[in-house]
Amino acid sequence: MARLSPVLDRTPVLATLLLLPAAVLVGGLLAFPLTLGVLLGFKDATIGDPGSFIGLENYRYLITDPVLRLTALNTGLYTLVTLVFKLALGLALALLLNQRFAGYRFWRSVLLLPYVVPTVLSAFAWWWIFDPQFSFISWALVKAGLLHHNLDFLGTPWLARGSLMVANVWRGIPFFTVGYLAGLQAIPKELHEAAQIDGASAGQIFWQITWVLLLPLTTILTIFSAIFTFTDFQLVWTITRGGPANATHLFVTLAYQRAIAGGAMGEGAAIAGFTLPFLAVLAWAALDALRRQP
Amino acid sequence: MRKIRRRTVLGWGLGMAAGTALAQAGRSEPVFKPEKDASLRLLRWSGFVKSDEELWNANTKKFTEATSVPVAVEYITWEDVRPKAALAANLGTGPDIIMGWYDDPHIYPQKLVDVSDVAEGLGKQLGGWYDVARTYGYSERMKHWIAVPVGGTVECLTYRTSWVKEAGFDQFPKDPAALLKLAKALKAKEHPVGFALGHAVGDGNNWTHWLLWTFGGKAVEKDNKTIAIAQKPALDALEYAKELYPQMAPGVGSWLDPNNNRAFLAGEVSVTNNGISIYYSAKKDFPRIAEDINHSPFPIGPVGRPTELANFTQAFIFKHCRFPNAAKEYIRFMLSADQAGPWVDAMNGYVTPALKKYQELPVWTKDPKATPFRDGIARMLHNGYAGAPGQQAAAALAEFIVLDMFADATVNGMSAKDAAARAENRLRRIYRG
Amino acid sequence: MKRIWTLWLPLGAFALFLLFPFYWMVLTSIKPNEELISVTANPFWVSRPTLAHLQYLLFSTSYPRWFWNTMAVASAATALSVSVSFLAAFALARLRFRGAEGVSLGIYLAYLIPPAILFIPLAEVMLKLGWFDHLWALVPVYSTFLVPFSTWLLVGYLKSIPMELEEAAMVDGASRLRILFQIILPLSAPGLISAFIFSFTLSWNEYLYALVFMSAPGNKTVPVGLATELVRGDIYQWGPLMAGALLGSLPVAVLYFFFVEHYVAGMSGALKG
Repeated sequence: MARLSPVLDRTPVLATLLLLPAAVLVGGLLAFPLTLGVLLGFKDATIGDPGSFIGLENYRYLITDPVLRLTALNTGLYTLVTLVFKLALGLALALLLNQRFAGYRFWRSVLLLPYVVPTVLSAFAWWWIFDPQFSFISWALVKAGLLHHNLDFLGTPWLARGSLMVANVWRGIPFFTVGYLAGLQAIPKELHEAAQIDGASAGQIFWQITWVLLLPLTTILTIFSAIFTFTDFQLVWTITRGGPANATHLFVTLAYQRAIAGGAMGEGAAIAGFTLPFLAVLAWAALDALRRQP
Repeated sequence: MRKIRRRTVLGWGLGMAAGTALAQAGRSEPVFKPEKDASLRLLRWSGFVKSDEELWNANTKKFTEATSVPVAVEYITWEDVRPKAALAANLGTGPDIIMGWYDDPHIYPQKLVDVSDVAEGLGKQLGGWYDVARTYGYSERMKHWIAVPVGGTVECLTYRTSWVKEAGFDQFPKDPAALLKLAKALKAKEHPVGFALGHAVGDGNNWTHWLLWTFGGKAVEKDNKTIAIAQKPALDALEYAKELYPQMAPGVGSWLDPNNNRAFLAGEVSVTNNGISIYYSAKKDFPRIAEDINHSPFPIGPVGRPTELANFTQAFIFKHCRFPNAAKEYIRFMLSADQAGPWVDAMNGYVTPALKKYQELPVWTKDPKATPFRDGIARMLHNGYAGAPGQQAAAALAEFIVLDMFADATVNGMSAKDAAARAENRLRRIYRG
Repeated sequence: MKRIWTLWLPLGAFALFLLFPFYWMVLTSIKPNEELISVTANPFWVSRPTLAHLQYLLFSTSYPRWFWNTMAVASAATALSVSVSFLAAFALARLRFRGAEGVSLGIYLAYLIPPAILFIPLAEVMLKLGWFDHLWALVPVYSTFLVPFSTWLLVGYLKSIPMELEEAAMVDGASRLRILFQIILPLSAPGLISAFIFSFTLSWNEYLYALVFMSAPGNKTVPVGLATELVRGDIYQWGPLMAGALLGSLPVAVLYFFFVEHYVAGMSGALKG
């Protein structure tokens, strides 16, 4: 070890050595298959037949496919709407938890559970909650006289989208809450106290101090949440499989349906390919935002 | 009845082979001599009823006792069989035998062992195969049998006799027009009908394909290239669906396969299409409803003959199997009278066998309500009708093209023409080149 | 008094929304089938709770086996990824070298690839390596999405350790490797714990790879097992399904309860870049 030390102390050598395991794993089991996967989008491969190179044909077709257009719209909508709610509610919860009160530790732990529980498992619970016949929500609303018959949560396009968004928001609030809690704790109390002494209202304090100071964090949380939501699979697939009539498909669920269930692997890979530029942009934005952190 | 734990059968096989004498297999003498030191892996779909797996495992054990070949049986959910099988085909490794669905073997016929000897032998011995079974098992491309048909989970219209009577029908409708009348009457009595329009892989596909075909519509012509879905007969079927939909219970647009079972047993719907599982669930848990249940084949429309679709399962062997003879013998054994008979019996006829001799099984007449399921295979058309089974038909089914077309016209309120045009667009893509 | 409006009421509303599904899961796990399927009974309560679903789950399915599999894979994948990530994060956060930005970007991007499209080519790679259908092969495979995330987390953490410590040690003649393991490692303990927890959670959350790459019945993980074996064609066994979901959520929940502080601190460290 003594003789190796000088060599290992040289930065390039050390850096390479330390990065090697990660590079091998990510390179071999991710980047390499990813390249294969991307190339697959340029072939007409099916599950039983490796197919041949067809250039941009898959993409050309998909751009004219009404289902894909619907999927693109839906994915965008799903990501955007849930983002707004997750952000707002996540921040609200963080503000609540940031106050010191009896048992706040307990509450903080418990309220973050939705994020922690495996997605497929909570998706099953939500599916049962949205059941057309046995939903307790319908039961309660009917009993209260507000409805005449059960809500068809997953059977009509807009209600289905809404239901999935609710489940997604439920799952995602803790992500924002944890992030914001950390951010709020970094804001010096003196700022708030000084403002209060100056006679600022609670609203003014929030918008002009807290919110502004949290903006960098908001940016990062938003970008990451957008990335994860955009590529969601388990939640939608478990609850609606992309139905009714393709109304709730996201890119990844559609890709899976066409590639695996339908056997059109080339086309499925191309559908997934649509997400990559968008993800790359978001990732770059995330990196940029992280670098700007004070 | 001894509860059979669901461990891998491999454990049993080894244990039994070690100590027991060769059990007689009755009339099922080994026909294909298993290779030395053979062992097999079977991938099949989870039984829809528990007794299915129990009997299958028991029969497998008998096989191992008779031949000293251990068999590991893996049960997975039926929708996952296709991707798993496809992966195995792709990679050339994995299970030896698959009990798949519909067009699966036709997607990669060149990767499968020729099983003509098994299929023809069983056919001779057991009354012959139904035509549709042959369509599923025999490959026109390879010019030999690529799969041994097992049977279909036949569906019938399941209905509440008292409510149907109350709506003014002494006999269950035999044509779609009468069915529509019945549906309207039932709706007026607050006992609506219900047919799945969500992505219910079994129920949803089965009734929409029946509807399409019974009006003379079809997805593709016999040449397997010309798309026929936008022609008049299909549009007629869509118009019919548009009239039927308002009579249905709310929520059918989100129905996956379990939903109609639950709705029916909760008394929310009066008529639905399903396999025999609703009836037997009712017998177990809701005896009063069970008394009121009866079954009818699907009505017959303008086309004049039965045109049902049911999930069809067949067994096929991958070429990467190291012991093809053992595999053939296993399939032959399991489908022979001494094994298949009790198996079908135990699951109350949930799967109707594809061999005609099994029409004589007591399960079909022991309870007369089960009889309509007996001839379901004879009433079937194959998936991809009128084209051939294969990758394209499989893709069309997996993508719910027909089902979504009906959902578009009803749940989504599209015009029949637009809904059909959308389906046509997708089918053209699938059936190109 | 004011607190009721500014704290307790909103907190209560959140608690209701966020925790009700869990109550629902518990309820369904102990409700007998007749009550589950009844449209008239009050769904919020159970009149004759039963342990039958739990019994079925534990004794008539392979649930214990799946549980063990998932625990083993999650633990091993976590151990592997956190170690690998720690080394990588150190290099990225504290060594100055050309290409650091590029490598960082590469690793972050890696996290974004949807597994749903990756798994066919990945399956072929696994096959060539002879890893197909071996449970332990999930360990390196899971690492492909755990490593990027943990690295990101740890980079944020490691950046906050003052450089002076290293410089002082180097002046004393310590090699960089010694500094790494004897100084930085102990100081990174909180970050490492956070990375452990996140990785463990994400491993339990995985579904697709486990479904596709494992073929033999003894190799299933909890999400896969529940989704595939408690569904018999058109009958979903909601009781055992929810019981299984509940039990399956316990390990992560328990771990999480013990280490909440680290969870929070880890995220904040990461988000500081």
